[in-house]
Amino acid sequence: MTGSRRTKAAIRSRREPLLLLGPGVAVLALAFFLPVFQMLVLSVQVTGADGQISFGWDHFAKFFVDDYYLGVSIRTFRLAGLITLICFLIGFPLAYVMSRVGSRLRMLLILLVVLPLMTSVVIRTFGWLVILGNGGLLSDLLEVTGVTDRATRLMHTESGIVISMVQVLVPFMTLTILGVLQRIGSDLEQAARTMGAGFWRAIIGITLPLSLPGIVSGCLIVFALSISSFITPTLVGGVRLPVLAGSIYSSVTGSFDWNFAAAQSVLLLLATLVVIVPYAMLMRRRDTKAVR
Amino acid sequence: MVRGVPPAAKLLTAFLITATAIFMLVPLAVVMLSSLSASEFLVFPPRGFSLRWYGEIMASDAYLKAGWTSIKLALVVTVLAIAIGTPTAIALYRFRLPGGEALGALFLSPLVLPTLIFGIGLLVLFSSWGGGPSFTGLVIGHLVISLPYVIRTVGAVLADADPALEEAARTMGANVWQRYRYVVLPQCAAGMAAGGFFAFNISFDDAVVALFMRAPDVETLPLRIYSQLEFSPDPSVAAVSTIMILLTIFLVFLIDRLFGLKRIA
Repeated sequence: MTGSRRTKAAIRSRREPLLLLGPGVAVLALAFFLPVFQMLVLSVQVTGADGQISFGWDHFAKFFVDDYYLGVSIRTFRLAGLITLICFLIGFPLAYVMSRVGSRLRMLLILLVVLPLMTSVVIRTFGWLVILGNGGLLSDLLEVTGVTDRATRLMHTESGIVISMVQVLVPFMTLTILGVLQRIGSDLEQAARTMGAGFWRAIIGITLPLSLPGIVSGCLIVFALSISSFITPTLVGGVRLPVLAGSIYSSVTGSFDWNFAAAQSVLLLLATLVVIVPYAMLMRRRDTKAVR
Repeated sequence: MVRGVPPAAKLLTAFLITATAIFMLVPLAVVMLSSLSASEFLVFPPRGFSLRWYGEIMASDAYLKAGWTSIKLALVVTVLAIAIGTPTAIALYRFRLPGGEALGALFLSPLVLPTLIFGIGLLVLFSSWGGGPSFTGLVIGHLVISLPYVIRTVGAVLADADPALEEAARTMGANVWQRYRYVVLPQCAAGMAAGGFFAFNISFDDAVVALFMRAPDVETLPLRIYSQLEFSPDPSVAAVSTIMILLTIFLVFLIDRLFGLKRIA
């Protein structure tokens, strides 16, 4: 009697999670992995002159022999590197201050970061178009304060892209580092200071190295998001300064070359994975550590 | 003896906070102020003061239609994301599954894999089998990008809730439905609500998936704004954007009340 009831309970609890997971797995597989898989297939599909479809690397070859696309890639990665660096320089001190101030000020700072984060990227970019525009706010400000002696052009420049992208991505850096800073707390830093270390020395010698996992994951995620963003670089940079994502978009809508767009997407995906896989591993280690 | 924080550091902190506040908020402030301009053109600082652009968008068929599409879309996505994300989170956080950790990572992967690639893939899929870009395609696309948020928020409240309550209900004779109805779902409620507001916000704000699922009858507000910015921005774009910013402020406030903004970090 009890034996059969027990097996029943075991069967139920084995079936229960599968039923719960069913809809989610279906959505993930059909609506996410299937489209991404399709892009992989498209990228190696070559249509011959007679309409015959074969498989090959032609679309990738097209990318690698063309100086234009190489230039686009170099710009994409250079800008992403610069954006990541600046995001760190702003994000770390900000996260540090957040983790050390009183709860009311911390709430205000979190709001300062989360509110823009939750606002549509299109709208934030719109704000930057007005600020960076010729004769816009920033140009006037630089002229009035005497930093420059004539109207500065920031629209359609790489500086413009970097400024606006940093504002879009700084929240990711700050929140990732903040998560780690809150976990490590301030005990060791306090201890170092009791032992005579100065304020700055305690931060640079103790807190900074301890928060390295957070810094690395923050940088990886900002870099990954940066190489794949499209709306902000396209609107601020214009057609003269295309990035990889913009080039993919114009292959889809301009030349309708879906195979080539797919090949570029696969390259972007590979670049993202190279960055994201270590990120996921770092995050997992952080989680298991927290459990212990 | 530990001395206090040096004055230089305090000064630097004050500077950092002020500079960040300006840097983070100025694009939003500029958009909101531009919407109040009385002039025909988008200028900053705004010339004069008027609410005429708000009247203008209320009379504009294109904006009203896009607004209606966006609201309908965000509501459908919210309901679906809660309905599918909640059981997924319960399975991931309440059962020991073989490979559960990897599965959890897969469910969060739409957060980090480029939306652009997913958007084009979805377009290809819908062009071959789904009859071209459509409202349904948009719902599916937004569901995928908002599902991770529901899973995360529900997972977070489940991690804090006591699993023993469920076991207690079971030993007291509750059947599966009673257990979910009276124990598990109430434990998930705050996470479901917060996740739902995230889903609404993501769907309402997304422009990338919407760009690829664009069809004459499926244009959302962010896309309407994007098209205006590419061609001829006037203060009416600023007025629509301002309404969307106000909605975001409202949602952030609600998420904080239900879930606590501190826990987002």
